[in-house]
Amino acid sequence: MDWEIIGDILRIAVLAGLGVAGILAILIWKRNLATRVTYLRFVIQAVSFAALFYVFTYSIPLLYVLIIVFAMTIVLGRLYCGWFCPFGFVMDLIVLLRKAFKIRYRSLPDKLNKILHQSRYVILLFFLFLPVILWLIEPPPDFNFAVVMAQLFAGPFRPYSVLLDPMIPLVVPWKGPLVVNQINLSYPYVQDIITYAGQNIGQVIAIAFVGLTLVGSFFVRRVWCRFCPTGASLAVVNRFKGFKWAPLLHIEKDEEKCTKCGVCKRVCQSQVNDVYEQKGGKINTSMCMLCLRCAEMCPYEDTLKVKLGNKTLFKSRNWLEPSKSE
Amino acid sequence: MKSEKVEKKYMPEISRKEIDELRNSVKTASQKIMAENIERMKKADPNRPEVMKYFDEIANLFGQRQKEILAEKEKGKKVIGYMCLFAPTELILAADAIPVRVNSGWYDTSKLGDRVVPVEVCPVIRSTIGAKMIELSPFLELSDALISVLTCDGMTKLSEILSDYKTIWGMDIPRVKDSSQSLRFWNDEIKHMKAQIEEFTGNKITRKSLKAAIEQTQMATKAFRRLQDLRKGPPVIMGRDAMLVNQTYLWDDKKRWTEKTEALCDELEKRVQRKEWVCSPDTPRVLVTGTPMFWPDNWKLPTLVEEANPKGIIVADELCSGERILNDPVGVDEWSMDDMLSAIGDRYLMASTCPCFTSKDGNEDRINWLINKVKEWNVQGVIYYVVRGCMLYGMEYTRIKKALDKINIPVYYLDTDYTREDVGQMKTRVEAFLEMLTARVDF
Repeated sequence: MDWEIIGDILRIAVLAGLGVAGILAILIWKRNLATRVTYLRFVIQAVSFAALFYVFTYSIPLLYVLIIVFAMTIVLGRLYCGWFCPFGFVMDLIVLLRKAFKIRYRSLPDKLNKILHQSRYVILLFFLFLPVILWLIEPPPDFNFAVVMAQLFAGPFRPYSVLLDPMIPLVVPWKGPLVVNQINLSYPYVQDIITYAGQNIGQVIAIAFVGLTLVGSFFVRRVWCRFCPTGASLAVVNRFKGFKWAPLLHIEKDEEKCTKCGVCKRVCQSQVNDVYEQKGGKINTSMCMLCLRCAEMCPYEDTLKVKLGNKTLFKSRNWLEPSKSE
Repeated sequence: MKSEKVEKKYMPEISRKEIDELRNSVKTASQKIMAENIERMKKADPNRPEVMKYFDEIANLFGQRQKEILAEKEKGKKVIGYMCLFAPTELILAADAIPVRVNSGWYDTSKLGDRVVPVEVCPVIRSTIGAKMIELSPFLELSDALISVLTCDGMTKLSEILSDYKTIWGMDIPRVKDSSQSLRFWNDEIKHMKAQIEEFTGNKITRKSLKAAIEQTQMATKAFRRLQDLRKGPPVIMGRDAMLVNQTYLWDDKKRWTEKTEALCDELEKRVQRKEWVCSPDTPRVLVTGTPMFWPDNWKLPTLVEEANPKGIIVADELCSGERILNDPVGVDEWSMDDMLSAIGDRYLMASTCPCFTSKDGNEDRINWLINKVKEWNVQGVIYYVVRGCMLYGMEYTRIKKALDKINIPVYYLDTDYTREDVGQMKTRVEAFLEMLTARVDF
């Protein structure tokens, strides 16, 4: 009963959100506000948050969602991370909370930031090889390739479920780790932590994890994105040879027009230095989530361009308008 | 008035009578020169926009603006002078004080400066010392404290010399600008400056007042950039007029200046539509870069270029008395105090193309910016203006010339001094260069 009501509400919310997003997008575009991309991003994040729940209410195998997102990455890069990821949305909401308190974010030292970004790959590899490791620790009586494959995709430790975790919105249609008033609440990774570590210890670790990420993202912008194995695997897709053209969606910089004022470096949520340091051309870094804040804030016309293939979608411009937002 | 007499470390003791005599003679001469400069600007463009009258008035250093600042001072406002563009004016505005730039452009006072420093020193420095010696510069006299950013050698010692008279706040600036440690250092200097300004003026710089100051400056930048963008097309305004507008920002009331500049741009836009050019669109388009040129006396080069035969028109400049004043806005991400302060730090340190900086590729920012300007403003020739004694600009010439040679833009190195004696010789040199540019245009 309750589920149907919640489902209906969410469906209406998605539709309303889409409508509001459209109107807002047109308004923001017309009024030429300095923060139009950020507004639009918030709207899209909210819509995708609801839409993902909607998707999950149908029993679509999660693996398919993952495959679609990965296929998107070849064309759009890590756009998913910046614009659709529900966990990212949660962290961005916490940023709004922090802004309300007028507290400034902390920045990680550049070196540590780089190390964290490298560590994503280690985490990713660890989870990918977990079935193999387990198989080595406790070798089954007879080797069977099918068993290994089964463990990869269906076994108790499905590595791809780790990749899926940030895609799960806070409210889930299945039995979540926490049920309040028959609403199944969830939080990224918590389900997996409990499954892997067992009920008791798992709960302790899960609470610690939730607390740490919440507090962390209050002080450091998008803190989890710096570890996130999903982000790493999305970035990996475009790293292979023959994929140099990918992602089609990218930021391009015009070195001559740049005065190196450093705005792009300061506004970047994941502290990417490449836009600032690179001498023009296509910005190619796996750390960039394409939130496009840099292109939005760059005060020089045409210096930073957001391109899809050869087509320019959006370029930096002289945004000097008094800010009406606070 | 200080009760006890402070021993002067640098300045010679001059009798009151001598000071007054010298000041009056220099002041009269200077007023004549200002009037003459403006007269010649009017003559150069018979159809000069109406709004320029306002800027002419503000440009009179001993006129309306001096009285205004005096009146505001009597009401209890503080005046804070600064010598380099690195001084964070937003902080001064936020503390409800008046920022004025106090570098001096008087030729005559540079001779007086010779009494304190050797002749080899940059004339801007010597002239400022001389102006202080005879209490000439109205804004230097009116300022209660000075922010001195230790950029070049001259500025470093100038602040020491002026500390005989005024409270000086030195701001140490890192010479390598794109490393994170120098940015950290500079941000600390900005924070320290904020505390000093707060203590001195007695006004707390709040989040709201700083935000208002940043937004006000952003509006000024918007008007300023609009004016520069108008110069991209065929000439609608004489280069001298635009340079004067740019420079009056340094001492004018910021809000009023913004309004007037917007009004000027409105007028110019109408002219663009009517295709009313100030001179033939074939006139060689010149960019001026190098040592800053200060109103009123050091108006030699722009006057020469625009009155030469064949005539040239200055469409852009890369001077810290010109387009560098307001070109870069403060880009704030989150309107919290800390973020605003570091945005101000970024804007003043990293966006600057002052030759006092170097980095792992040298001062490449300046070259890139110049090339961009040449392309965007359709510049046909660059005049590299250096006053004798200005080491940093002089030494960067070779590299800039090489970079501009690559895009086939002629550069002319013009060295001079704070003197009127070489006007005739300079005229010949400038005319030869413009002749060459005209030939290239015809070709």
